[in-house]
Amino acid sequence: MEELFSQSMKAIFPENMLLAFFLGMCSFLACSNKMETAHGLGLAVIFVLTITCTMNWIILNFVLEPGILNGYKDLTYLGFLCYIATIAATVQFLEIFIDKFAPALYMSLGIFLPLISVNCAILGASLFMVDRDYTIVAAVNFSFSSGVGWYLAIISLAAIREKLRYSNVPAPLKGIGITFMITGLMAFCFMTFAGL
Amino acid sequence: MKLLLDIFEKSKPLFTKGGKLEKLYPLYEAKDTFLFTPGDITTKGAHVRDQADMKRMMISVVVALIPCILFGMYNAGHQHLLVNGQGYFPFIMKLHPCLASLVQGVFIVLPVIIVSYAVGGIWEVIFSIIRKHEINEGFLVTGMLFALVLPPTIPLWQVAVGVSFGVVIGKEIFGGTGMNFLNPALTARAFLFFSYAGDMTGNKIWTSVIKEDVQVVGYTVIEKSKVLLSGFSGETPLLIASEVKETGTIEGSKIALMEALSGAPFEASAIGGNFSFWNMFVGNMGGSIGETSALACLLGAIFLLIVGVASFRIMAGMIIGVIVASWAGCFIACFFMEGQVKPFFLLPSYYHLVMGGFAFGCVFMATDPVSAAATNTGKWIYGLMIGVIVYIVRILNPAYPEGVMLAILFCNMLSPYIDHFVVKANIKRRLSRGS
Repeated sequence: MEELFSQSMKAIFPENMLLAFFLGMCSFLACSNKMETAHGLGLAVIFVLTITCTMNWIILNFVLEPGILNGYKDLTYLGFLCYIATIAATVQFLEIFIDKFAPALYMSLGIFLPLISVNCAILGASLFMVDRDYTIVAAVNFSFSSGVGWYLAIISLAAIREKLRYSNVPAPLKGIGITFMITGLMAFCFMTFAGL
Repeated sequence: MKLLLDIFEKSKPLFTKGGKLEKLYPLYEAKDTFLFTPGDITTKGAHVRDQADMKRMMISVVVALIPCILFGMYNAGHQHLLVNGQGYFPFIMKLHPCLASLVQGVFIVLPVIIVSYAVGGIWEVIFSIIRKHEINEGFLVTGMLFALVLPPTIPLWQVAVGVSFGVVIGKEIFGGTGMNFLNPALTARAFLFFSYAGDMTGNKIWTSVIKEDVQVVGYTVIEKSKVLLSGFSGETPLLIASEVKETGTIEGSKIALMEALSGAPFEASAIGGNFSFWNMFVGNMGGSIGETSALACLLGAIFLLIVGVASFRIMAGMIIGVIVASWAGCFIACFFMEGQVKPFFLLPSYYHLVMGGFAFGCVFMATDPVSAAATNTGKWIYGLMIGVIVYIVRILNPAYPEGVMLAILFCNMLSPYIDHFVVKANIKRRLSRGS
């Protein structure tokens, strides 16, 4: 229990996907102009991250690693291919599924669901999961927490950008430049929980 | 005064449009508004008719800092004399020990403040000239706050680097005072904290030293090498408290904790051990220059509240936050963990208010109106969050003994988010009232 807690704290704060590993930067910078979009994208990332990471864990452990299903052959060299395919497929499937059963959620996530399939943070989480030999519980916990960390980062950035909309930023720094600066300063703040 | 005014009036054409020194107009304007209340009126739009503009507001924070500055100087000198037994000026010692401490402290602290002001001021002037905005008294506050949260032993070049980072990256690139989202002084402090951890960490005791063979620092014996590093920021009681070993029973742990803090048997601590409550309240301990004394901060707080610059909501929220969190921690420790827990959990809640930089952060750092939450409900939430995070970092986080600085920065970052939700909720409430 304590381990899981410290793992999730680590994934949310000091080893934040965005602020420590710079994964998922593109959508982080592009979609943080408005609170609503940031909120939707963040939720979608939490959702997809958790599901794909779990799926990939299952695929890794039951299909790729030597076992009864693949006739005791080591197929881990197909890892990358499988993970990407899983992510793309899961996102497609989720899109159809949500559209059918939860149209309200589908509307709010909108374009972000397909966008997420190319988000580096999603693949990153799966690869970290492989790299660190997580158990299924740890993998679910890790991916969910990473998603929460990503959500927290993008939503704070969006709020800060809304606050700074009328500030007099030097011309060369306007737009993406100042966003990078804010991101750097945010990484400072996220260090608060390093070591928990 | 009249003479001064005349000189300024005469030099005015030099600085206004078309004059020789047109580019340096911000300097002229700054000096004009620092010293006098200029007769300029707003040329367009609505404006507030009030004496207290942003400059007066900022300067009132500096006024509120005076008790902290004076006590900080005294204490820096006092701790120095405790360690060294002699100051730079032995002859003053013969006059009065308090005076000796103060003079010693002035010589330790003043260079830090001067460097902080000079370098911060230079950046402010450069930016205001190039970007053509007013020189704001905000840098007086930032420079002073920054100097006061530094250990007295800090190398002066680090002060310069830190304040440059704080003013340029923390404030000016966002467009100057009022536009930043983090407290510039804390940004600078955090920058130094992460960059030069050896000089800034809260693990070691600081005291300004001249001799190398010192073994005893006033209240606690530490090794020679640690004295030489002399980097510390006011958390020693926190570190002592966090390192107390569990004894198995709740009562035993509590007594062990109190003994460790006061350096005396438990019963005797009421009359004042080393880190007894009252000692820490007054501030008679090592630490960053301005933050040791909760009493001085309290005086500053009273002034700020009367003037109306600081928000009582944030201060109250922070205090309630840390007290409730420590009650919750104590409750969990007593009833769910059966005493198999760090004795630090059992620390009485009011101790948290006087330890480390809590009082200083609560009064001067968290209440910065620019970086704090802007809505009233948001201020409560913001304060409560800081309080709880301070407790969490102090008790649970082994990486840092003190969490006030980082907790405030973290909540600075979240404050636009908090505001957003408060505003949204308000809109929703009003809409529902209408329909």
